[in-house]
Amino acid sequence: MTFTLAYALTGLFWLGAALLSLGLVRRAALWRQGRAAPVALGWLMTIPKRYFVDLHHVVARDPFIAKAHVAVAGGAVAVLALAALNYGLMLYLPALDALMLLAALLMLFGAVLVRSRRKAPPARLSKGAWNRLPKSLLAFAVGSALAALLALSGNAFGAAAQGLALLALAGLVLGGAELALGVGLGGPMKHAVAGLLHLAFHPRQDRFSGDKRSTDLKPINLVGKDYGVETPADFAWNRLLSFDACVQCGKCEAACPAYAAGQPLNPKKLIQDMVTGMAAGSGPAYAGNPHPGQAGKVRQGNPHQPIVGGLLDPETLWSCTTCRACVEECPMLIEHVDTVVSLRRHVTLTRGEVPGKGREALANLRDTDTVGGYPLAARYHWAIDLNVPVLLPGEHTDWLLMAGEGAFDMRYQRALRALVKVLKAAGLKVAVLGEVEPDCGDLARRLGDEATFQQLAGKMMNTLGRYRFNRIVTPDPHLFHCLKNEYPVLGGRYDVEHHSQVLADLLERGAVPLKADAAPLPATTYHDPCYLGRYNGETDAPRRVFKGIGIKVVEMERSGRKGRCCGWGGGASFTDIPGERRIPDMRMDDIRATGAEQVAVACPNCTAMLEGVVGPRPEVVELAELVAARLAN
Amino acid sequence: MSTPMLKVAVLVAPAIHPVSGRPCTHPADSAALALGLKLAGSSERLTVLYAGAAADEALAGYLAQGASCVTVLPTAEDADIAPLLAAQIADAELVLCGTRAGGGQGSALLPYQLAEELEAPLLPDALSVAIKGGSVEIEQFLPKGQRRSLAAALPVVVTVHERAVPALPYSHARKEAGKVRRLMPVAAKAAEWRYEPAGRRARPLVAASRASGHERMLGAIAADDGKTTGLVVKQGDPVEKAQVLLDYLRDHQLVDF
Repeated sequence: MTFTLAYALTGLFWLGAALLSLGLVRRAALWRQGRAAPVALGWLMTIPKRYFVDLHHVVARDPFIAKAHVAVAGGAVAVLALAALNYGLMLYLPALDALMLLAALLMLFGAVLVRSRRKAPPARLSKGAWNRLPKSLLAFAVGSALAALLALSGNAFGAAAQGLALLALAGLVLGGAELALGVGLGGPMKHAVAGLLHLAFHPRQDRFSGDKRSTDLKPINLVGKDYGVETPADFAWNRLLSFDACVQCGKCEAACPAYAAGQPLNPKKLIQDMVTGMAAGSGPAYAGNPHPGQAGKVRQGNPHQPIVGGLLDPETLWSCTTCRACVEECPMLIEHVDTVVSLRRHVTLTRGEVPGKGREALANLRDTDTVGGYPLAARYHWAIDLNVPVLLPGEHTDWLLMAGEGAFDMRYQRALRALVKVLKAAGLKVAVLGEVEPDCGDLARRLGDEATFQQLAGKMMNTLGRYRFNRIVTPDPHLFHCLKNEYPVLGGRYDVEHHSQVLADLLERGAVPLKADAAPLPATTYHDPCYLGRYNGETDAPRRVFKGIGIKVVEMERSGRKGRCCGWGGGASFTDIPGERRIPDMRMDDIRATGAEQVAVACPNCTAMLEGVVGPRPEVVELAELVAARLAN
Repeated sequence: MSTPMLKVAVLVAPAIHPVSGRPCTHPADSAALALGLKLAGSSERLTVLYAGAAADEALAGYLAQGASCVTVLPTAEDADIAPLLAAQIADAELVLCGTRAGGGQGSALLPYQLAEELEAPLLPDALSVAIKGGSVEIEQFLPKGQRRSLAAALPVVVTVHERAVPALPYSHARKEAGKVRRLMPVAAKAAEWRYEPAGRRARPLVAASRASGHERMLGAIAADDGKTTGLVVKQGDPVEKAQVLLDYLRDHQLVDF
């Protein structure tokens, strides 16, 4: 009897292996519709490290599901490996059966945990096939445990053995089909294979190299007429692969400010839309939350049909604030922002159909080198009485202060003046560029206008090349990010610091003359700018500044790397897609929830967005203003 | 909307950006181009023409806004371009251009000179253009929200108001695909400008009264001392007082009952 079961298991194993291979070939054919990407097969060797370190680092933020996944996936892999050895190679060793029983019990434990979460699932989780998965896992775990037990027991079960063997086979067939057929048919288990391959062939290999954060947008070859992504087949093949890695956990959906505001963007659905397009279908199997306001809309997709207008409404594309909250949360390390920007690039570069005020902002950037269409000569008007020298070619300065677009905003000019006062009080040799400073091109790039970005970046690098300075300091995280992370690949390397970093260092060195602490300070909270916190990992410096001037920060629930966007990023305040709420209003609610009387900001755009919240609300103050208020006379 | 086989010529010229002083598109010329694209239906029947001395890059904005080819008639800075343009577009049935150009030689007088050269009627300041058989109907822009319908038989010169139709959005791909075609430079006679000394400045108006505003106000309102023209009514019941007010309003035709 046991031997008959053993042969059956051998047959089942090889049948499963063959079906899985066929499915993988079928799925790989879908991925290969994409453009070529520079990859090396040797990258497959990086999978274990990336899986156990980089991926697990993200998954471990939710300890329950992390433990459940370790048990169920670890158990399943062990069961499959042992089955391959013992039954695949027809060894039939009882010792391996014993190990398999242990592995199966581990998997069973994990599957029970996974199943328990599906009892009252959070709204972000997809249902449908994803609700079936825990049952399949249970069936497979029970089946394999039973099979191992039967193999070990000899004839102990007597007459019941036959019935139990059939039960074991049924469990293995039902559970095993989820994997063996799931990959080829695009079921939930495709995430295991696609996810591992995605780790190896990730489009951002530098994400895994040391502590460098890979957050810069990559340039496209405009001369070669590369105008971004129009159809699913225009994505590089490893991007298509990355979409298949999605487990529809909805962490991105829960973190997305546009989704929370009721704007028509759900990052999880966006990725599934790409899968629908890649596999040519209408996505009826998707059982998660829709893009807000678009429930029940059926959309056809095809690898060679334009995505925008077909699979996606343009509004979905323009709702994104590029805040990277989704990318930060994604346990499968999918790059949502890259996807959005690639699609935007095609719309902007070929048709120019940027909604709202985006078109006007881009025209201003082309015609005046400023977002608001201001004369360049006015950029440093606010500094006219502060004796900030304008750097001349041939002169040298330690610090070059670059104000960015915030210099034209009357509210932010107060912050800039405060910053200059502090830097001067600390004895820093600071100069500005005056009327030769163009825009860095951040907004143009996020709106998909790579041509204008590259033009502005060229202009900026050309200008900076004519002046001699040691380091750049800027209060604008967008300018900071551009100069620090996006210019190097274009050939501009600068030593650039955000003003929070400079202020923190000055305060720690005792270089800023502070007056004795007199008035009690109001309760303060701090809003992390996305382009400083998530894009550059700098959540520490602003907090060091608060410590230096004796302010105790009441943290918001979503702060630091988990901070919520103010709603400006990615040109979202220009495209201004309507939602049910405004993102800055929601952020102000976060601020109110701390009970703070004032909120400190460290970005001209966050300042503008939060200052724009109407009604009674906490005061918005800039980091530099807080330091300037403590300056000794 | 488009009429088959209508040959359309659009005249464009780079403008000078009011803030940066860089060459850019002019909104009226962009509107004329957008209208031209709509009416011609295909780029073969549309000629986009510029006469002047600007560099190719200055015209790139019109390529980005949908012109597949801009034909340039290179001329000197001070050339009289109306006859040259007329010779180029002699076969066009519909000539569209901005009400006035933002720079170069395309002054607001050019459309009139051109119409004279072509012996065609001119329909100025169009907000919309409709082709009906062999004639053109436009809705003309007039100040303060007024509009007027004008019609003329083809061929016709139409100047387009900048608010006529939105220009096609700027597209980098269109700019790269578009071409600037330079014709052979033509020797043109310089425009004949007659210079005259400016006349005397208009003299500012002299006020009728030298009294201050406050004094004149005091003179106009009523006071108890009887020195002023006004009347203070203190006697009588409210009905009589109201009757005085009503009489005053009727005298001054401020009420009509």
